Amino acid sequence: MAKVKTRRQLAVETAVLAPLDWIDERTGAVRGTKWFLFRNVPRDISWAQTLGFATLIAFAAQALTGAILAMYYKPSSEIDPTTGKPIAYASIEHITSELTLGWLVRGMHRWGASVFVILLFLHMGRVFLFGAYKYPRELQWITGVLLLVTGMLMGFTGYLLPWDQTAYWATVVGINLNGTAPFAGPWLAQFLAGGPEIGADTLAKWYALHMLLIPGAVIALIGVHLYLVTRLGVVSPPWSKEQAGRIRGEAPAPEGAREGLVRGSGGGD
Amino acid sequence: MARDLGERNREWFARYKDDVKKEGKPFFPRAMLHDTIMGLVTILVMIGLAVVWYYDADGTEPGILGPWYTEPAEPGTTDFIPRPDWYFYFLFYLLRIFEWPETVFIATVGIPTVALVLLLGLPFYDRRPERRPSRRPVAMVAAVLTVVSMGVLTWKGATATEALGSELIELVPEWAEEQGFADDEQAVAGADLFAVSGCLNCHTYLGQGSANLGAPDLSAVGRTNDAAYFVQYLANPAQFGNTVMGSYSYLGQENLEALGAFLEASKGGG
Ligand code: HEC
Ligand code: HEM
Repeated sequence: MAKVKTRRQLAVETAVLAPLDWIDERTGAVRGTKWFLFRNVPRDISWAQTLGFATLIAFAAQALTGAILAMYYKPSSEIDPTTGKPIAYASIEHITSELTLGWLVRGMHRWGASVFVILLFLHMGRVFLFGAYKYPRELQWITGVLLLVTGMLMGFTGYLLPWDQTAYWATVVGINLNGTAPFAGPWLAQFLAGGPEIGADTLAKWYALHMLLIPGAVIALIGVHLYLVTRLGVVSPPWSKEQAGRIRGEAPAPEGAREGLVRGSGGGD
Repeated sequence: MARDLGERNREWFARYKDDVKKEGKPFFPRAMLHDTIMGLVTILVMIGLAVVWYYDADGTEPGILGPWYTEPAEPGTTDFIPRPDWYFYFLFYLLRIFEWPETVFIATVGIPTVALVLLLGLPFYDRRPERRPSRRPVAMVAAVLTVVSMGVLTWKGATATEALGSELIELVPEWAEEQGFADDEQAVAGADLFAVSGCLNCHTYLGQGSANLGAPDLSAVGRTNDAAYFVQYLANPAQFGNTVMGSYSYLGQENLEALGAFLEASKGGG
């Protein structure tokens, strides 16, 4: 019995559903979103498993505040004749003390970097504790480790940008550290410094690394990471009695227990 | 082993998928709600830190979370301590441990590379399907050791002290006395520069400074070479195979000559 559609329903259909169908037919975007949202997760997942999402939010906040900062920040180490200060430094001063809510944007970005790094480590710790890096999530773990490295590189390259004494000298030491590496070391140090001395070229180079290249890599890695977590799902806490994948009929046996030979000696190999 | 590992893994994962489908809970909106709450907490923490930082500090006056910024970068002086952001302290402190020249690259490259390889390879050498922490003693002990050592290194890095240029410059008369160059004005000027130019962040001199990155003690460096050599060396250390130390040519010829005179006069005292 086909229900007669009200005019309102018809209007919704033409205004919302039809365009969505049109898009989905060509891109699969709607199906993709449904695939991401309307899936099940184990019923016993814990709060510790929200840390990955929190890391994602921290990164999104960094991207947003960073984009705003980029509108006012000037990556130049030249001395501004009117203030007698380096232009980059003066623009940071301006953002912090003159721009409306500039201090909040800069403060969130500056401290958000620490929050992001802490969350990366906490999330990784959770994954380790849960043994969630094991089959079939090995690549999930590897993209994670790469995110850890690129995430910390974000912090390393961003630190120079205010062009104050702390930033400058921390970076001098950092670049010199690279110089001690065998083979590629001196070359890498030379590339990072952008010349024999740390100066104008260095700043421009680090700015490009910090706001284009490294975040590009992070975003791509996050894409793969999220695709994999949607495809493979997240594990139940390993101590849960009703964990997904448990063996029925026996005590919630360890999936890894050695079967046969010596019963109950599980976990040994 | 009764059955092949790959087969057991695949059986387990098939069971897992089945269970999630039959008895799992929907990601949206149930799990997503928890995620969103955590996301909000994250943003609030970021705002909180920004507020405390901004209102407790004023310009270059530090508050509990440090200043808004320090003085503008100035390559010529280092009257302050070069220090990375706190989450690199553990690497930073490793350098202090491996202070002998031949071992520096253990700290800068060796240990980080090994750690990274171990981390990347984890799922490939820890292949047992067992996930309960109580049944993974080796993994848990390794984790605790890692956390403790990173914590200790971070703490040590945070509390490591280095002398400021303004404190070191007070020592110049003492150095002049001990090395016997008190009457040599050029050498004394060079010693002043030496104290404030950050040389002692890497080198040691008569018991001062921090041996970093394999930089040698310079107390008796004047026995090895003369002033003209040192001037050339400082202008372009890379030419002498030293890629760690930056060029000091920005100090200008006069200052370099002063430094050269000072280094030449440093014959180890006594
Ligand atoms: C970033 C760390 C660092 C800083 C800062 C630094 N040096 Fe060096 N310096 C080194 C290292 C490392 C070596 C040893 C290189 C080698 O053995 O090839 C060295 C070597 C030298 C040598 C040669 C020693 C010899 O036995 O021939 C002299 C002289 C010297 N430094 C002087 C200075 C002076 C003067 C300053 C400050 C203006 C300074 N250095 C700042 C790291 C540094
Ligand atoms: C930008 C950084 C990262 C983001 C945005 C991110 C995001 C996520 C999200 C949203 C999940 C879903 C489950 C959860 O929230 O815990 C997840 C799972 C996972 N993450 Fe990450 N992650 C990041 C970094 C890392 C790192 C550094 C590692 C480890 C080296 C890692 C390894 C994993 C693994 C193995 C899973 C599967 C967990 C399971 O099955 O229970 N991730 N990640």
